[in-house]
Amino acid sequence: MKQTEKKLQYQTTLIVNGKTEKLTLPAWVSLLDALRHHLDLTGTKKGCDHGQCGACTVICDGKRILSCLTLAVAKDGSEIKTIEGVGSKENPHPLQRAFIEHDAFQCGYCTPGQICSALGMLEEGEAQTLEEIKDSLSGNLCRCGANANIIDAVTEVKANHYE
Amino acid sequence: MRKEKFPIGIPGVNLREIEREVPVTEPPAWPINDKLKHVGKSVKRTDAILKVTGKAKYTADINLPGMLQGRMLRSPHPSAKILSIDTSAAEAFPGVKAVYVLRSNMSGAEPKGGEDNGYPEIKYAGQAIAGVAAKDGQTAEEALKLIKVEYQTMPFVVDMDEAREPGAPLVFEQQVEQEETGGGGGGAKGLEQQGNVRGPSTKSFFGGPRGDVEQGMAEADVIVEGIFRTQVQTHSALETHGIVADWKPDMLTVYASTQSTKGVRSEMASIFDLPESKVRVICEYMGGGFGAKYGAGNFGVTAVNLSKISGQPVKLMLDRKAEHLAVGNRPNSWQELKIGAKKDGTLTAIKQESYGTAGIGLGAGVGRVAQAVYECPNFLTEQYDVFTNAGPGAAFRAPGNPQGAFALEQLIDELAEKLGTDALELRDKIDNSVVRKEERRLAAKAINWSRRKKPGSDTGVIKRGIGVAQSTWPRLIDIDSTAEVRMYRDGTVEIRSGVMDIGTGTRTILSQIVAEELGLEPEQISVKIGDTLFPNGPASGGSKVSGSITPAARNAAYKAKQEILKQAAPKMEEKAADLELKDGMIVSKTSGKTMSFKDALKQMRTSQIMTSASREDDYGGFMVGTFISHGDLGSVQMAEVSVNTETGFVKVEKIVAAHSCGRPLNPMQIQSQVNGGVIQGISYALYEDRVMDKNTGHMLNANLDQYKIAFSMEIPDIEVINIEEYTARSSTDAFGIAEPANIATAAAVANAIYNAIGVRLYELPMTPDKVLKALNLV
Amino acid sequence: MKKFTWVQPDNIDEAQRQINAVTATIATGKTIQGAAVIKAGGVDLLDLMKENIIAPAKIVSINALPGLGKIGFDEKSGLRIGALVKLSDLEENAEIKKHYAALHESVSHAATPQIRNMATLGGNLAQRPRCWYFRSEDHKCLKKGGTKCFAQEGQNQIHGIFNTEICPCVHSSSVSTALVAFGAQVEITGAKGKLRNVPLAEFFVSPQVDVTRENILERGEIITALTVPAPPKGQKSWYIKQAAKESYDWALADAAVVAQMSGDTIKDVKIVLGAAAPTPYRATAAEQLLRGQKVSEKLAVQVGTAAVEGATPLAHNAYKVPMFKAIVKECVLNLV
Repeated sequence: MKQTEKKLQYQTTLIVNGKTEKLTLPAWVSLLDALRHHLDLTGTKKGCDHGQCGACTVICDGKRILSCLTLAVAKDGSEIKTIEGVGSKENPHPLQRAFIEHDAFQCGYCTPGQICSALGMLEEGEAQTLEEIKDSLSGNLCRCGANANIIDAVTEVKANHYE
Repeated sequence: MRKEKFPIGIPGVNLREIEREVPVTEPPAWPINDKLKHVGKSVKRTDAILKVTGKAKYTADINLPGMLQGRMLRSPHPSAKILSIDTSAAEAFPGVKAVYVLRSNMSGAEPKGGEDNGYPEIKYAGQAIAGVAAKDGQTAEEALKLIKVEYQTMPFVVDMDEAREPGAPLVFEQQVEQEETGGGGGGAKGLEQQGNVRGPSTKSFFGGPRGDVEQGMAEADVIVEGIFRTQVQTHSALETHGIVADWKPDMLTVYASTQSTKGVRSEMASIFDLPESKVRVICEYMGGGFGAKYGAGNFGVTAVNLSKISGQPVKLMLDRKAEHLAVGNRPNSWQELKIGAKKDGTLTAIKQESYGTAGIGLGAGVGRVAQAVYECPNFLTEQYDVFTNAGPGAAFRAPGNPQGAFALEQLIDELAEKLGTDALELRDKIDNSVVRKEERRLAAKAINWSRRKKPGSDTGVIKRGIGVAQSTWPRLIDIDSTAEVRMYRDGTVEIRSGVMDIGTGTRTILSQIVAEELGLEPEQISVKIGDTLFPNGPASGGSKVSGSITPAARNAAYKAKQEILKQAAPKMEEKAADLELKDGMIVSKTSGKTMSFKDALKQMRTSQIMTSASREDDYGGFMVGTFISHGDLGSVQMAEVSVNTETGFVKVEKIVAAHSCGRPLNPMQIQSQVNGGVIQGISYALYEDRVMDKNTGHMLNANLDQYKIAFSMEIPDIEVINIEEYTARSSTDAFGIAEPANIATAAAVANAIYNAIGVRLYELPMTPDKVLKALNLV
Repeated sequence: MKKFTWVQPDNIDEAQRQINAVTATIATGKTIQGAAVIKAGGVDLLDLMKENIIAPAKIVSINALPGLGKIGFDEKSGLRIGALVKLSDLEENAEIKKHYAALHESVSHAATPQIRNMATLGGNLAQRPRCWYFRSEDHKCLKKGGTKCFAQEGQNQIHGIFNTEICPCVHSSSVSTALVAFGAQVEITGAKGKLRNVPLAEFFVSPQVDVTRENILERGEIITALTVPAPPKGQKSWYIKQAAKESYDWALADAAVVAQMSGDTIKDVKIVLGAAAPTPYRATAAEQLLRGQKVSEKLAVQVGTAAVEGATPLAHNAYKVPMFKAIVKECVLNLV
């Protein structure tokens, strides 16, 4: 690597889904791109890259954020949870089970972001009524129009697991 | 041939039997759904767990060894000639492996004749010019900036009204043609072109003009008319268009975010002069299409060339801005519609004149709905395409229909009011569709239509209203739909087809059908789709997948069943004709003897059985060309809205959507499709609008915050009513629903707004400013 | 985005040193190549960079600076909010919800839940306008040092109805609409720790003064806190945001009313309109009408009308006039 290029690289440690990842990357790499390219965690999606669709939602230090508007270097030392860390085929999270039960997706591209956003919402514990739940999910676009079922799935999980 | 009895009609309304003559190779008639085990049940999606765990791989997620990142250079000018392009600095930039300059523009209309200086003319801001493949995206983006393009900017016009004016800058100097695609887009050959206006086309899906429209108007007791406008809508799929191209000497492999794997293959083969057998297209998962993702695209041609030049795979995904500008949109419309009727409601004439811009493409017609929904002996539509310097239109969920319905259904409501009839009663009189009559009845009950008050009579600042609208859609079929079923000694049962799952749940219904036929559980069926290595399936468009591939799937499974029973019969000392498959067992109907299906597979003569079947002809002998089956996917939607008469804000409170798709295969997935169509319809009715600046020729809201799409707060209570309608047309008798779900919504919302405030809105989207203007508050 | 270097100092002196000689903050709007910018949440910063509106050579993150992340309230001195406090923390704060209802309401409807978890109050105040010509690399407008304002003759449906002659953009911080109505002050820290406190209303700069910037921040200055006076007895407030849709949307019109009530009578009041002008707009004529009066339906209507007195709407945004009338009226009615 050229000297000038070396100067533009930064050591960044991200704890992703419980695993410590030491990365060397330029400052301009978004957290989204770091996850997708440098760590091969392609579950988190790029929809608009400008923080307007919510497809890139991940949980960072317990709060849901948009990884496309986050620089990876700015999260040195942070704990990141992506969809890959929410649950698995063998051990799905209640949200994942509810999404399946309620058919809360069609093409599925917004789904990881929806689940991470919903998880963040449930952990926040603020939204109570149906209107508040809808409001709290209003940063995630579903162009296929699965929102009605998404809202049902999240409402059910809240009632069964977060009351 | 053999004679077979099939159920026909709507259960609870007119269900009966009909006898058809079908090829002897066809499987036996299925009873209605309540007698079936998996078909007609809300089976959870086969790919659900992959989607919710982020394991489903979309084109954007594909990573191949040595893969380069591709980026496109696009025109900053709405109209220009390219005088020269110098790519030397870009090519020399460290980390760049290939640069490719497009020599032709893949999309839009093609001029006949005209000169070629080596570079295509720039006809819209955002038009693709060249591509770069580099070791990472940052390098590719920097290299793009080093490409030196010398432009000679030219006059442009982006506003349709201005483009229609004599003396407007010409988008095309020459006459143009664009092949009509099945999905919408393109236009009839040889139509007259004056300036930027091409037409009229008097055709729409169900044919041309009928009778004598002037005579019909003269016979009318009552005439209603109006001029309606709808906006340009961009598809805005969440996964942008894109491709991973891997050029190898013996095979070009393309991972494409596409609705038609076979379509991309044939285009790539043609462009790169390869036999189709040397082109493989894969699309396992796609993040939305809605009609825009057909064909190779400029980006596709560029990526393949970059891979060819560099010798490495290249991933090229569009960014959100390019997604809005360059890869498709629903054309806008200006429609003048006039309807004549007798005092008793009988329609005597429908006359329509429409203009629409599909940018540099063709395909802005809106006439289907007006031509086909209601009984009317005299009909004429004259549809014009208007060229503007903007990205080419593409088929968008029921092309032309939501536009046409917005006008037609509002005038039908106006007619009802003029005649002093209820809006539903008038439709009962003039609409001879049995299905829509039943849909009207059920929807009216669900929304409680009797609550509907006189227009504008609600008191208070917030006024509520209820409205209705209807639609029609043909049952499109693609005969080139083949499924292959494989059974392996290890017990695996697989179904394969090149069809891809656009999000409707194609994977799941295939598993249900094979499971039904073979007496297994859907989860036991391995579904392999979205790869041109498998036999061609239909494109995921036109709402034709269910109607095209499921009969082929069933027939292939039926053949496989016959083969395994033939092999098992001697082992069970039974006649094959006496055996059936049930709950994972082979059962003798005569002696009750059983053998496990898995054991039968273990003992197969060969390590696998492979059978395949294609879509057969319509059982009733009805086909239009080779691609329409008899019947109408008609729908009725009702909307309840509340309008704040001081701020102009409209909220959709409830939608009741009554639909029919033949034999429903999976009610949960059908409900999801209808939800999706309704939500897109609300978004189209109230929020979405491509904003162009007339003076600079640019789209101003090529993003997702100022291009406004419905998110979760905009979702109303949606009630879906799905009517089973058996028509005995194929071995599954199932049809699609995605497009019907999207046609009537905006019109129903518009009629509901009229009912709420007593003033009609003639323009989409029905934003607060338009409502305030209509109320004379601006 | 162009390449850039990154630094995250842990003290303010170092931060200011890093913002070197050829400095630009996104707040002042000078878009000089090779400059450095301050990053707090980075929400607007990254958006502007991805749109190629600005291209700093260095980003100086202030997220590690101590003492900027707290919310403090007491009945006597009022509210003090550190500049790095996230909007979501403001939204959850019980004291703000109790004592400054209009502020709570404006924060709860800003952007989206995810953005509220990332965006800081300081960044929210300093964010640049959403005018689509300003945000477009294809249009070199007045604000970016060009010679033309494209909105005047162009698509101005999202632009202002007051002070539209030079640059009709609207300031984009809906939180500021409420904060100005509460009489908030901005604490700015300059070189060598020099502090200045400026009323928020004077923090914003109008196009007449300098079209290329939106606020008074000078090179190297950092917003460190926002203070809001203690709520006097009988303070009531209301805030309404009217957008094209209820989910994630910029305001077409927003309004905040903060009143000192004595029973049903309004002793004093501030009415601020957002999305109406390049800076938060005080509807002083409307305030005059209300002072000393009891709230009534009739008066509320008159106040709404007075609030838009003198408006100079553009070709495509006349709808904002009745819209403001309606929401101001509603705000007033909700005081009792």
